[in-house]
Amino acid sequence: MSQTECGTIREYLPDFAAGRLGTDQVGAVEAHLPSCAECRAEFELIQMLLDAPPVVPERLADSVVSVVRTSRRSGRRPWWGISAAAVAAIALGIGVSTDRAGNVAGPVPEFASEADEGEAWLSDDGLLAGAPSIDGLSDEALLELLEELSEEGAA
Amino acid sequence: MLIERARSGDDTALDLLVRRHHASAYRVALSITRRDDVAQDVVQDAFIKAFGALGGFRGDASFRTWMMTITANEARATLRKRGRWSESAIDDVGPIAADEPDPAEQAVSGHESARARTLLETLPEKQRLSVSLRIDDGLSFREIGEAIGSSEGAARVNYFHGIRRLRELME
Ligand SMILES: [Zn+2]
Repeated sequence: MSQTECGTIREYLPDFAAGRLGTDQVGAVEAHLPSCAECRAEFELIQMLLDAPPVVPERLADSVVSVVRTSRRSGRRPWWGISAAAVAAIALGIGVSTDRAGNVAGPVPEFASEADEGEAWLSDDGLLAGAPSIDGLSDEALLELLEELSEEGAA
Repeated sequence: MLIERARSGDDTALDLLVRRHHASAYRVALSITRRDDVAQDVVQDAFIKAFGALGGFRGDASFRTWMMTITANEARATLRKRGRWSESAIDDVGPIAADEPDPAEQAVSGHESARARTLLETLPEKQRLSVSLRIDDGLSFREIGEAIGSSEGAARVNYFHGIRRLRELME
């Protein structure tokens, strides 16, 4: 089995195992696996991982929604209109943290070392959704849901 | 779009963003902190920060990747804080807490899938995070690079090293 072919197939395996792969690539993987024990073993490992996903606490979403709303209403943090530079700093982990005594601990450059501001935005959402339900919906579908929910709320 | 609605202060849009992305954020936080309670706090703080910064978020960027990045940063910041504040912090941030059973031993009796998952948690942080984000969340290597603070190439290497190591551990 050629290394190039295995390399390509191995790139596909996570999405293949999770049912996220396009038809053409599925065909390539299905043609390759029966004759390649190495890729098959890797596929089996990925399947095992998918069979035992970390359990997300059931009430987490509710508690986050509640905390977010409280935080917004209390106004203890700036809400809208924060500068783009500050947004980039949050995304890149450049922050100035303080300890309990209020001493400034200094900048935290860990994340800034390899990504610059531009890189943080270069990305598309793709079709690779995580959990089902809302995760699997397009923005359009979500917006429709939004409309429905606001109509219900108004009724 | 949804981000626009959220940015203008629409509660329902904000709720939907939480419900759509909280599971991925939790998995990232858990993978870094390895503690359910800490991970849940991290997710809450990460969403507060993300929504606080939405005004400057560009609508054409991926909210998901951005959210993962903020969550990963928040998780690491939390570990650092705990390191300064807690006497037992070394246990908390070490590869495996000393008072916990060895996952490798613990896993022998379990189901193979559960064993694979447990062994994944013994890998170095960037490897386990790359494997989890690629497999559980379907992120591309470029997106993983953004989320863990490395290049696309480094994310790919971390993923394949993690997979190879996991296969060795499973044997
Ligand atoms: Zn192969």
